Amino acid sequence: MNTQRRRLLIAAGSAVLLVAPAFRANAAPATYTIEIDAFEFKPATLSVKRGDVVRWHNADPVPHTVTAKGTFDSSSIAAGATWQYTAAKNGRFDYVCAFHPTMKATLVVE
Amino acid sequence: MTRIGTALAVALVTAAFGVSAQTGGGPNDAQIAAIVVTANQVDIDAGKLAESKSTNKDVKAFGKMMVTDHTGVNKSAKDLVTKLKVKPEDNPTAESLKKGGEENVKHLKTLKGAAFDKAYVEHEVAYHQQVIDAMDKTLIPSAQNAELKALLVKVRPAFIAHLEHAKQLQSSLEKKAAAINHSHMAG
Repeated sequence: MNTQRRRLLIAAGSAVLLVAPAFRANAAPATYTIEIDAFEFKPATLSVKRGDVVRWHNADPVPHTVTAKGTFDSSSIAAGATWQYTAAKNGRFDYVCAFHPTMKATLVVE
Repeated sequence: MTRIGTALAVALVTAAFGVSAQTGGGPNDAQIAAIVVTANQVDIDAGKLAESKSTNKDVKAFGKMMVTDHTGVNKSAKDLVTKLKVKPEDNPTAESLKKGGEENVKHLKTLKGAAFDKAYVEHEVAYHQQVIDAMDKTLIPSAQNAELKALLVKVRPAFIAHLEHAKQLQSSLEKKAAAINHSHMAG
């Protein structure tokens, strides 16, 4: 390997090292799962980064919804089914089950 | 519903769940299975009637939800008893529930409009309260099989949510009735 080529390789290696942390900060979005169980959203409050994926898994024997008026609405999620939402907008979103309004929770997107 | 009607509805439901207490040791798992399935079926039948007969969109929606939710709960109960190879065993509590449910539906069929809505919702409040009491005092403590007990604990919040919803509906119907009375008096 000649000197010039070695220098290039070192430069390229350094570039990768410099760039890698930046890539990690913007890394593949995280996925979170909220369990809908016994007529409760668990956890009741979840904080995520914008771009993260939030999945709601309905572990109850009855259908539920995940509804934050004006922001996201799953419509009916059947027993055993999952619905997912990519957090697109920053903010604090209170949501309910439209069928059972006593079920309340909050998604925080930062 | 008249006060007498409401008292009757409550008495029927109370009587239904009171029977097991008189037999002493509480119901066995096969009897609990029959009670759970019947309790759900009774509310499905009333819900179907409300869905088709009510002219109030909130009452219709509530009736529809009762059908959906209690069908779902019943499916999970039936799946579990099949898995456990428990054959639901008829018993006085289940029979009394069934009779009470039939009488409620029969009574509701004689009513129309706001009177139907009021009677249906009042009965739903009383019914869910009684089911919750029965679960807490009799069914959950008596269940022997851990999975059956777990199922009862898991579906209990459904009845709480329905009770709260029925109470809200009851209060909104009362407000609406008061507003109509007021406007009649003013007119």
